[in-house]
Amino acid sequence: MNCAHEPNVVHAAAEDRWTESLRAHVADCADCAAAAAAAPWMSRFARISDREHILPDPSIVWLKAQLLKGSFDVARVSRPITIAQLIAYSIVAGGWAAILMWKWKAIQAWIGNFSPSGIVHNAAGAQTLSLSFFGIVFVLASMTVMLALHTILAED
Amino acid sequence: MFAADMSLPALFATSEPQTRTGGSPRPMDEARFEAFYRRTAGGLWSYLFRLTGNETAADDLLQKTFFRFLRANPALASEEHMRRWIFRTATNLALDYFRETKRERAKIAEAISDAVSLFETRDTLRHDMMKIFGELKPRERALLWLAHVEEADHEDIGEALGVKAKSVKVLLFRARKRLGELLTKKGLAP
Repeated sequence: MNCAHEPNVVHAAAEDRWTESLRAHVADCADCAAAAAAAPWMSRFARISDREHILPDPSIVWLKAQLLKGSFDVARVSRPITIAQLIAYSIVAGGWAAILMWKWKAIQAWIGNFSPSGIVHNAAGAQTLSLSFFGIVFVLASMTVMLALHTILAED
Repeated sequence: MFAADMSLPALFATSEPQTRTGGSPRPMDEARFEAFYRRTAGGLWSYLFRLTGNETAADDLLQKTFFRFLRANPALASEEHMRRWIFRTATNLALDYFRETKRERAKIAEAISDAVSLFETRDTLRHDMMKIFGELKPRERALLWLAHVEEADHEDIGEALGVKAKSVKVLLFRARKRLGELLTKKGLAP
């Protein structure tokens, strides 16, 4: 805690209105002595007029604050949506990566079916991709399109 | 005690208390904000200008402080709380300003020098005072201003500067000593 006499010492020093008891106290208290030494100068320094300076208009400050508050609110409200979007992107990207890795050889073979030799080979009854695979691809493709549309519309 | 342009009530004075005992706090509307701004901005700007020595920086920091004030739902219980909040935020912003511009100390020194020149044209005494105050560290300037001009107690100064009240006693003592040394050096000691 600061010395209880400090406010009185500061006032007395700034206004040069000392009492005997305060003078006696300052002689014994190092904190108050330092305060008394600084107070008159700080008091004079505080009196330097700043009136030549024109402060920003309060209505402008209010307006700017409302604008900033609006953009801050938008950012705050849209944060969960952005997080959900990122999670959805990660799931879709992970899904595509998993399915491509899982069925890579079958996909290569399926693409090969479209070459002339592949058509002949296919006619001979070679194994092709299952219907469920195409189902998963359809679901992933739909999710990708929906996400892309959501991103574009959200930006608009 | 202090001059007319510094005549805002002490930072933590209990003038015009608006403490309510119940119900939700009244939201800050434009008229209330304007009244509060007119009561506070002058003293706050003087404080920020003395800290930075730069009129533009003081303007920017003043506006930033009030933007934050309005964003932080200023429906605080009393004028006292609002003033305390304003000066604490302004102090933090000013110290951040010094941290951000640490590498640009030369620029700050130049800004203070410009401010000094500005005062020099007005008054030699002002010039000397700004120069002496500019030689103190930003935290020392904040300490001295809050303690002597705003008459804040150690707890409130500690809150504003992010230090313990016990530390304020030591820091303030050192700042006063440092100011005393500077005054002695310039032959201005009482």
